[in-house]
Amino acid sequence: MTGIPQWRPTAATSRAAVVATAGTLAAVLAGRPTLLVLVAPLVVATALALAGRPRRTPSVRSDFDHHALHEGQGTTSRLVLTDAEDVEQVTRVASREPFVSVRPHGGRVTGLLAAGAVDLEFGPRRWGRRVVGEEVVALTSPWAGFRWGPSTIIGDQVRVLPVGLHYASHAESPQPRGLVGAHRSSRPGSGTEFAGIRAFVPGDRLRRINWRVSARTDRLHVTTTRAEEDSGVLLVVDAIADHGRSGGVGGAESSLDLTVRAAAAVAEHATRQGDRVSLRVLGRSTLQVGYGSGRRHLRRVLGTLASIQPGAAHDGELERLQLRATEGTMVVVLSPMLAEVVATLTATAVRRGLPTLVVDTMPADAEPGLPPEADPLLADLAWRMRRLEREQVLASLATLGCPVVPWRGPGTIDEVTHRLARRARQPHLGSR
Amino acid sequence: MIGQAIRSWSRGQWALRLVVLAGPVLATWAAGLTGDPPGRLALGVVVVASLGFAVFPESAVGTIAFATVLLTWGLGSSPSTPPEAVLAAGALVASHVAALVVSYGPDDVPLDRRLTLTWLVRGSALFVVAPVVWLLATGLEGQPEPAGLWVAAVAALAVAGVVATTSLGPRRAT
Repeated sequence: MTGIPQWRPTAATSRAAVVATAGTLAAVLAGRPTLLVLVAPLVVATALALAGRPRRTPSVRSDFDHHALHEGQGTTSRLVLTDAEDVEQVTRVASREPFVSVRPHGGRVTGLLAAGAVDLEFGPRRWGRRVVGEEVVALTSPWAGFRWGPSTIIGDQVRVLPVGLHYASHAESPQPRGLVGAHRSSRPGSGTEFAGIRAFVPGDRLRRINWRVSARTDRLHVTTTRAEEDSGVLLVVDAIADHGRSGGVGGAESSLDLTVRAAAAVAEHATRQGDRVSLRVLGRSTLQVGYGSGRRHLRRVLGTLASIQPGAAHDGELERLQLRATEGTMVVVLSPMLAEVVATLTATAVRRGLPTLVVDTMPADAEPGLPPEADPLLADLAWRMRRLEREQVLASLATLGCPVVPWRGPGTIDEVTHRLARRARQPHLGSR
Repeated sequence: MIGQAIRSWSRGQWALRLVVLAGPVLATWAAGLTGDPPGRLALGVVVVASLGFAVFPESAVGTIAFATVLLTWGLGSSPSTPPEAVLAAGALVASHVAALVVSYGPDDVPLDRRLTLTWLVRGSALFVVAPVVWLLATGLEGQPEPAGLWVAAVAALAVAGVVATTSLGPRRAT
């Protein structure tokens, strides 16, 4: 729409005015009172519509109850009208945006202003950047005499965070290397996990003295515990391509949906445990979030996940990429494992001795996105070959000692982390 | 495109659009009850225009349909004011109000119950004017006309026309 909207007579007013004038004129000129009977209601309707002619030009905008949203959540868009004394009725028509559901009636509402607010509820159904609140508004004066608009309200681009599924896990981190945290360390310290009983040495805390053993042996003994440390978790997210169809929250999940949601769940769980979380996105732009912990850091991680757009990087950027994970960091690679570069990165991390696991985010029913001119038979053959190669890559990674688990929701990586922790306590050689 | 728009109509929209269509046709048919049946051409024009009016309630075809109804009644030979005129007026009001309610938004906007009820009341109130005018016209039938009545009526219409034109014209925003 161009220009500033103004009050203009509605089609109904124009129709009533023309018919009433023509009918009355004809009745008078032809001396036919019958015509006057026919148009008399329209004369009154026109008079009432004109009497309610608006004097002020209103302005409209919409306010949202919430500006930060997770997928599946919703917010109410409230219409804020100023100089709206002449407004009787409001019509709001929200534009249809992909993965944004609008209620009621798909974002098409009309109602009397006196009957209460005409609100719309917007609910983004998928993570990412979504335009929320784009709509067209029209106002009508009393007796539908004049209409203002339709006027377009530009929507807000909202970063929709992936849904964070909470899960409780008791799996230890394979190689905790930190100061304080929730993971049992291999070294003694001031934790709560029992490590052993030994003879008292100067410097031991008195509250650690085990009086029962001391009395029995006539020598002071203390109970020792293991230290509790935090751990680092590096999330490597493969956003090189998106395979499969996405139906938003509760619907079908594409590979990138699974990847992003799994990364969000693991990040949320690790943050809750007090671990340091880092994120590395492999895709069109190699987004990165450094190590950190706490709610604010989690929000940064989720925000970065929400801004992911699938696509391959240019000029071998990914091939030159190094994960820069320090010792003690658990590397979680979330990928459908169709890109060679991701397999290479994973294998490198495993060879460095980093506890690494792959979360397979390939949907079972994923199909390749085909351009219209593509030969479906040829594409099907290529896709099958691609999947066979993928199986080989996964088998090779497993041979290297890198567990591969398909993402099956929260708790997927529990057992694997247990195994990695057990393996980490055994002596091993790492190559650099 | 029209098919798509029609498919998006809700049940309420269908009901109102049927009223929009039926109004002018009923008003023309009422002229026939006075013993002066409308010509086929007039009836055809009204039906076609009403169909267009029902599909595009904001277009000028509604005005064409209403004007044809007036023409049919105006060309009738009955010198008196028949009671069927009230029926025709009611049909026209119903059609006008239904078109007005339908055009509050795009085709797929569902009707608001409270808004529709408000217009039902308003439409009924507007219709009441028709029998009142009919009673006046019937009562005054056969009475001698006061001198200068028609001149005054034309002058009043001219003034009303000027006022309406001024009101409907563009106004600067305040």
